[in-house]
Amino acid sequence: MSTKQILKLDNVVKKFPVGDGRYFTALKGINLEIDKGEFAGLVGPSGSGKTTLLNIIGSLDSPTEGKAIVMGQNISELTHKESAKLRNIHIGFIFQVYNLLPVYTVFENVEFALILQNVSASERKKRVMEALEWVGLQDLADKKPDKISGGEGQRVAIARAIVKKPDIMLADEPTANLDAKNAHQIMRIMKKLNEELDTTFLFSTHDEKVMKYLERIITLKDGSIAEDKQVTPQKTLK
Amino acid sequence: MIKFLFKGIIRDSSRSVLPIIIISLGVALTVLLSGYITGMMGDTIDQNARFETGHVKVMTKAYAENKDQVPIDLALLGVDSLVKSLQNEFPDMEWVKRIRFGGLIDVPDEQGETKGQGPASGLAIELLSTKNNEVERLNLKSSLVTGSLPTQRSEAIIGHEFAEKLRISIGDSVTYFGTSMNGSMTFANFVVTGTIRFGIASMDKGAIIVDVWDAQQMLDMEDGAGEILGFLNTGVYDDEKAEKVKNAFNSKHTGNKDEFAPVMLKLRNQNNLDGLLTYVDLASGLFVAIFVFAMSLVLWNTGLIAGLRRYNEFGIRLALGESKGGIYRTLVYEAILIGIIGSFVGTAIGLGLTYYLQVVGIDVSGYMDQANIMMPSTLRAKVTPSLFYIGFIPGLFAMVFGNMLAGIGIYRRETATLFKELEV
Ligand SMILES: Nc1ncnc2c1ncn2[C@@H]1O[C@H](COP(=O)(O)OP(=O)(O)OP(=O)(O)O)[C@@H](O)[C@H]1O
Ligand SMILES: [Mg+2]
Repeated sequence: MSTKQILKLDNVVKKFPVGDGRYFTALKGINLEIDKGEFAGLVGPSGSGKTTLLNIIGSLDSPTEGKAIVMGQNISELTHKESAKLRNIHIGFIFQVYNLLPVYTVFENVEFALILQNVSASERKKRVMEALEWVGLQDLADKKPDKISGGEGQRVAIARAIVKKPDIMLADEPTANLDAKNAHQIMRIMKKLNEELDTTFLFSTHDEKVMKYLERIITLKDGSIAEDKQVTPQKTLK
Repeated sequence: MIKFLFKGIIRDSSRSVLPIIIISLGVALTVLLSGYITGMMGDTIDQNARFETGHVKVMTKAYAENKDQVPIDLALLGVDSLVKSLQNEFPDMEWVKRIRFGGLIDVPDEQGETKGQGPASGLAIELLSTKNNEVERLNLKSSLVTGSLPTQRSEAIIGHEFAEKLRISIGDSVTYFGTSMNGSMTFANFVVTGTIRFGIASMDKGAIIVDVWDAQQMLDMEDGAGEILGFLNTGVYDDEKAEKVKNAFNSKHTGNKDEFAPVMLKLRNQNNLDGLLTYVDLASGLFVAIFVFAMSLVLWNTGLIAGLRRYNEFGIRLALGESKGGIYRTLVYEAILIGIIGSFVGTAIGLGLTYYLQVVGIDVSGYMDQANIMMPSTLRAKVTPSLFYIGFIPGLFAMVFGNMLAGIGIYRRETATLFKELEV
């Protein structure tokens, strides 16, 4: 294996209880491997299991059956603390709603991830400003989240996720609330981070604009992988 | 992290203002109540000691058993040598003789006819002796309303209200009628040199204060006294020391079955003060406990509401890699921070109010007419060092306990559920 493996899913099944002892099977035996540096996306209709799958990969949830190995660790076997540590060190999340902590400034929101890692104050300042530069927001460092636009908010969320240089970024519908211009800007920033920092990205999306950037498209249908193909992104996008 | 949490608390007023107000109120009340009780008890004890009980008191056994009736026929005799031996044995204390007596004061006009008459409770102290602190102890100088203190025998000071009622002026001669130690009628004349007001209901009603020597003559009580009071030189009642002195003294007289044998009681054993002190300890302990409980309930609820509002934040923090335990811990830290802030504010307010009540006081003389405990007619709070920290106990405890209960909700929820709420 020439490239480093980020994650490997082996026949992952997820069932949710729906009352009367019955279950709804959201994932029906998913097999998937993602290597370092990939820029991949889960696509598929609403309810096909994209978010459920991302949650399992992000160790926020665990599979009912099968094995999910992320960064060499079996998700099902992790304690609360260990899974928190896995998220803290290796995984960056970006959400549909950018979910910044409203009482903190842009700078502090990004800084928080590093406080959790016990990074020193001077080192934090350096890295937070660096991350804000990546997303082009160094001038907004002292603003509160309610004083910035939606596109800027999502860029802060990217900075917050990337500041700790995670191995994999999980982005659940990151452009769903953005207009076309902002969506493209976000995707270009993420592609650049993918290229410059060799960060692995896994998206969930049904946004055509996002798909145009992807190098690998994994199509989910009713909790199963219907198609998994490498694609050549259209570099000509403005 | 603490600094980070602190910023959050300060900026998110909904997270801090209500709890801080609740804690401040509770803490302020705790401090005030505690200061009030300490002040009241301190004053009460102090006053009892000065006017009635001493830090310890020696009487005959029979006198001790009937002391409410002021039985001068049961007084101690041979008190000069008894006082000397007490002074030798307990040199760090002051020992003074006092005689309580009751009788009638008659005020004659120029013709010698009765102008006014009233029952008086008399107190004889070592007024003319310079070897003791009785004058200071009873605050006689500053309690004088008119006139001056006696400087020679056969002079007396009397209660100001009493003097007004009987229309006595300074320099008037009054006659005391009563029973002597051996039961015969006796009388004596006194020149009134001053009138006095102590601010103690039970003392101001009808008092006459004379020198012990005069009382001994008048009551046929040569070398006798109803009571010998002992005061620790520090001036402050110390129950342990008093207990030691009492035991040392009484152990010498245990074999003596004579009802005129001397017996020593400490302050706590007199005037129901033991019961009062115990009761006050219990009541204030109970009060603080109820407070902590009630405040915890309220703070639990505010914690729950604040927590619900913050599930979104908790979800983000979980995603960023904080563990549930970590989030729970930060909630406790926040509670400690808020508890400290609230306790600070509350303590400041409480100290302010306590100080106000220390200076101004509450006049309760109207309620004191029937009281058989000697209490000051103006109750004053007292700012003591313990007030600076006592409020932190309920303040911190209630906040932390309330929030620990509230925070359990985080553990109950699945990580994925907390997280799901982010997607809205
Ligand atoms: N906690 C849960 N309990 C019961 N059913 C659930 C739960 N979470 C998800 N599901 C169900 O599992 C299926 C997959 O949900 P999921 O959120 O993964 O879909 P999705 O592909 O992300 O959809 P969308 O594009 O709308 O976000 C859905 O039918 C959903 O109703
Ligand atoms: Mg989804």
